[in-house]
Amino acid sequence: MNLNQILIESKNKINSANTSAELENIRIELLGRSGLINQLFSEIRKAENPHKYGQQLNKLKKEVEILIANKSTNLPKIDNCKLKIVNSFSLPKVGHLHPITQTERQLNEVFKKLGFSFYDGPEIESDEYCFQRLNVPPSHPAREMQDTIYIKEPELLLRTQGSSIEARLLSQEKPPFKVAFPSRVYRNEKVNKSNHFIFHHYQGVVVDKNITLKDLFGTINLLFKTLYGPNVIIRFRNKYYPEVEPGVGPDMQCFNCQGQGCAICKGAGWIEMGGAGIIHPKVLKMAGIDPHLWRGFAFGLGLDRWVMAKYNIKDIRTLLGGNLAYKPNHL
Amino acid sequence: MKIIYSEIKKWLPDLKDDAKSVRDNLTQIGHFVSGFEEIDSEIVLDLEIRSNRADCLSYYGIARELATFYNLDLQIPEIKSFQFSESSIPITINSPDVYRIQATKISNLKNSPSPSWLIKFLKLHDINSINTLVDLTNYVMLQWGIPCHAFDLKKSSELIWENNQNYSEFTSLDGSKIKLSPKNLLITDSQKVLSLSFIGSENSSIDLNTTDSILEMAIYNPSRVRSDSRSLKTITEASIRLDKELDTQTIPLAFSHLLSLLITHCGAIISSQLLDIYPKVPSKITIEFDPSSPASYAGINIPTDFSLDVLKHLGCSIIKNLKSSLLISPPSLRKDLNLSEDLIEEVIRFYGYYKIPIDTPVDSQTLPDITPPILYLIENLKDQLLALGYDEIRSWPLVKTPLDKNAIFTQNSINSDYPVLRQSLIQSLKTQLDQYRRFKLPAPQFFEIGKIYFQKNGQYLEQNALAIYHYDSQKLESDLNLVAPVKGRYPKGRGVDSNFTEIILDDLPKPKKYLPTFSDSKAIELTSQIITLDANLNLDSPRDPLDLIKEYSTKINPKILWSIEIIDVYKNRYTFRVSYYNCDDKTAKKIHLSTFNLL
Repeated sequence: MNLNQILIESKNKINSANTSAELENIRIELLGRSGLINQLFSEIRKAENPHKYGQQLNKLKKEVEILIANKSTNLPKIDNCKLKIVNSFSLPKVGHLHPITQTERQLNEVFKKLGFSFYDGPEIESDEYCFQRLNVPPSHPAREMQDTIYIKEPELLLRTQGSSIEARLLSQEKPPFKVAFPSRVYRNEKVNKSNHFIFHHYQGVVVDKNITLKDLFGTINLLFKTLYGPNVIIRFRNKYYPEVEPGVGPDMQCFNCQGQGCAICKGAGWIEMGGAGIIHPKVLKMAGIDPHLWRGFAFGLGLDRWVMAKYNIKDIRTLLGGNLAYKPNHL
Repeated sequence: MKIIYSEIKKWLPDLKDDAKSVRDNLTQIGHFVSGFEEIDSEIVLDLEIRSNRADCLSYYGIARELATFYNLDLQIPEIKSFQFSESSIPITINSPDVYRIQATKISNLKNSPSPSWLIKFLKLHDINSINTLVDLTNYVMLQWGIPCHAFDLKKSSELIWENNQNYSEFTSLDGSKIKLSPKNLLITDSQKVLSLSFIGSENSSIDLNTTDSILEMAIYNPSRVRSDSRSLKTITEASIRLDKELDTQTIPLAFSHLLSLLITHCGAIISSQLLDIYPKVPSKITIEFDPSSPASYAGINIPTDFSLDVLKHLGCSIIKNLKSSLLISPPSLRKDLNLSEDLIEEVIRFYGYYKIPIDTPVDSQTLPDITPPILYLIENLKDQLLALGYDEIRSWPLVKTPLDKNAIFTQNSINSDYPVLRQSLIQSLKTQLDQYRRFKLPAPQFFEIGKIYFQKNGQYLEQNALAIYHYDSQKLESDLNLVAPVKGRYPKGRGVDSNFTEIILDDLPKPKKYLPTFSDSKAIELTSQIITLDANLNLDSPRDPLDLIKEYSTKINPKILWSIEIIDVYKNRYTFRVSYYNCDDKTAKKIHLSTFNLL
């Protein structure tokens, strides 16, 4: 993109401002967090010479800042004569991401730095990918009508877990890979203040040579510390999931009672945060991946309760029910 | 599964750790203790037992786990020696769902109300006391994890195990009537139903007058029990155990314990042969195991001696030494041990997950990017729409009504008012708009990016779509012209109104890569209407309106201030428009009048 052209266009825009509100709008458009110049900075790696391009961008940013500052002092003050204004005066409307998206992006940020790709899969899923390929036995209670919403029983259903994306990923891609994926999932549950039949998972899968539990624990620890700060206390315990072996349950020390036991953690002092483990050799085998050559870990976390705790949302229905709104001006 | 700390010590007399340490260690090795309380001077631990560990639905199983963890010897309860007679028992097995059954006849019973220790034991497990004989069958079930049943011989002269063909109804011990289905596993006397596999009936119940009884302990096809229990909507302590894989080889020990207790506490005399029907003898499993493999899985050093000690303590036997590995046979009790990875997990969980360092995440080396480009497009569009002031919403993908015959219906959603997968995001956004209108949210503009679903040529398909709403339809159009690559590709809403539009994203050109940065902003849970009030402020001299907004916004409690703006300026008169939330009309008006000196 031609930076000189951008500077000329910016100058014209700034000069055209008649009021301080208009000028503020232009400032956000050019210098705001999601503004043009920040967007150019985010694409710096694509430039032929990123170092030189970065210097030019910094110069452009400074020039735009000076232009705005000068314009601000030169804007005509409102005098006593009649003034009819077209635009109202308010801080410009800034859009907001849904809290689930914000949390997903925060998690994506962690995995982006670890060199992960991202993935997706269908919500209308087959029994094969939702259960069979994840080593869920035919008699597992999750397969029953009470727990699964079927489109066409028993073959087609609404996915009950984000792991179905894992099953697709394993069968579609060749290792090694590192992938994270948020997902919307469905269970046949009555909707009330604390349960919903639609909720959200965040999962990750790594398949490479010599993957260990140490890699898994370190990755989850990094994730929790990013989300909850460096002082968060985590423990890992043994837990059963059909798709992993060994299985792992990561817990976080209760933020409310610091491990003493309270109503939030039901007296345990710890809060269950999801499930993880080394991918079961049967799961790899079913996907055509040789478990003697490759090993992987997988983890999955329920997103909704994290989001509720983080944003102080008390009713899970609010997340998808239309009752969430955003203050317009960051007051 | 609840366990009493003092009771587990009977199985492990050398256990020195206190109950809290036992709780923490059980949780570490995979039996999450969700409850810990003192009741009647006893400490009761409530364990969440995973579905593949039916052996741990008993004191026997949990004691074996702790014996391995603490390297202690297990003390099996005292079992008397007794002799069976030659007399036969009137039992017929006509069902393939019976995996093993042991049964015998006992006579000369002196049944009575249960002793206090037994009543207390059962009460701590949330089981009501009936009488000594019945209570002892429950006691043995909790100790060994295998349900057993006593039938009054006066009420039923023979017992037949069969899959239902003839019976329509069953009355359980508490008098509730259960409608039976074909194939339900029943115990009958050819005239009436005496019991289901997991719950008894009045027709054969034991009371204080019972003197002769047939005792049986059996393990069935778990799928049959699960199916019966679910379809009949009846879950019992017995069904919770019988619907999982139990160990048929534990039956002789557990059944002998029951007989010992009945001889001691009810004066029972064994008056028949020991019937042992065992059509499903499990085959022996062997697993090739490399003792160094647990270390390779954990990523830390775990001595091979430790691996072998753990397996030995668990009851595994070494069948053969191979070149670099061993051929191991797990104990019959452990139905979950089938692969070398299962044994690896055993070693690591007893070694301690807490010994594995947690400060080294997976190597951050970047591997080839396999992200589908549609995901980059979605993130890019979200950021562009944010910059234009749109809020993102997420709505229910299930809606009340289909748009046309291509809609996809769910078969069994418990929320039957919403049986259809949406064919358009606008269907969901309309509900959102209704909510915003209900709360009188001023000037809404929002979007959703999500899936829509439909049938085509017998296939069930889903597409990624973007739907947008703006209260000003002209602004919507001008905004869309600013969004690449939507520009020029926006159809008007599907007959809803011109304030909505929807675009299929799968058809749009995708960016090569787009990684958004994280930013955080507040979400408000709307619980009351937004109240909007105006005020005219007459000043002596002109002021910068934005300065005025900032000044007056600080005068109002941020917990109730939704928005504030100046909508008109005439000479030195400034017209404010303020929206309040989290308060009622009267409070909002009072605060408004006071803030702008209008009282």
